[in-house]
Amino acid sequence: MSNTLRPYLAAVRSTLTAALTLEDFASQVVERHNKPEVEVGQSKEVLLNPLTISRNENERVLIEPSINSIRLSIKIKQADEIERVLCHKFTRFMMQRAESFIVLRRKPVKGYDISFLITNNHTDTMLKHKIVDFIIQFMEEVDKEISEMKLSLNARARVVAESYLTTIRTHCLIPRFAVHLMNNELHGETWYGAG
Amino acid sequence: MDGSFRKIDIDQYDEDVLLESELYEPDSRDPAQVLSDAKQKAATVRQSLARGDTAGALAAVLDGAPYGPNVEEAKNLNLQTVVSILNSTKATEILNIVRVLSPDAQDTLMKYLYKGMALPGWGDVSGSVLLGWHEKLTEAAGTGCIVRAMTDRRLV
Repeated sequence: MSNTLRPYLAAVRSTLTAALTLEDFASQVVERHNKPEVEVGQSKEVLLNPLTISRNENERVLIEPSINSIRLSIKIKQADEIERVLCHKFTRFMMQRAESFIVLRRKPVKGYDISFLITNNHTDTMLKHKIVDFIIQFMEEVDKEISEMKLSLNARARVVAESYLTTIRTHCLIPRFAVHLMNNELHGETWYGAG
Repeated sequence: MDGSFRKIDIDQYDEDVLLESELYEPDSRDPAQVLSDAKQKAATVRQSLARGDTAGALAAVLDGAPYGPNVEEAKNLNLQTVVSILNSTKATEILNIVRVLSPDAQDTLMKYLYKGMALPGWGDVSGSVLLGWHEKLTEAAGTGCIVRAMTDRRLV
């Protein structure tokens, strides 16, 4: 694990552990309702200060605690256009299957890529430290997953371009510079810059 | 028929409605007084840092930190002072410094760490420095310190 990732995850872990002290709390506004107060936001006294943990401008976590629920939103690192597309597809895939992940929220909070909503029901039925472990593991995996997908996408693009241009060469004369580009490609230098 | 009247929040006209200002004790000092205090403290901190007394500088700036509304300027100044101390400390000294702070000062420092992390790129705030301090402070003061930073309404 890299040098700055470890303290980042440690900070998220300790903050999440501190925030996950939830209790059953019925709505004060509507009788016989019991809703996550962080989502309703109607009684100020049960909402606590939101805390942000950031590694840099592009990677941060927002934790919004309240008496019976917390909302944790993650902004995933997106260095270029490919990563942005991959991240969007990946989070969308997960959020469409939100009920299988139990604590996942169907929509992210504005400015973030993915959000989790943990309520007192979840802490009652599941072990608190396992929930924390799950979130931390998710944060570790998601970066790895996206960079892996990016690599395989680039490899695939290279193979496709190569076989496409080979077919063209057998059918017609191709300009000199295309041959040059292709040779560069085979030697690992790409015209589009990404490795 | 116009249904906009349904959107009116009638609870705000309730006579026992809870106001933001009732959640915590307001600062008894005048905003101008708070600002001059913060300026004075920034000067003391610079002197302490020049002598190499980081622990003293940190304790001084965390004592009586500005909070509440109408003191934005003093808050920014104090945050800047805190960040300058944090940035100029060696990573190996952090643990000893946070250990000698009083519990109240530790809580205030935790609030400043979260505030700094919420504003990446503001001034010379750096994420990795703040994360290093956060780790050491949690080690010294425990999870309770984070809970107190979370529940205290007196935002720095």
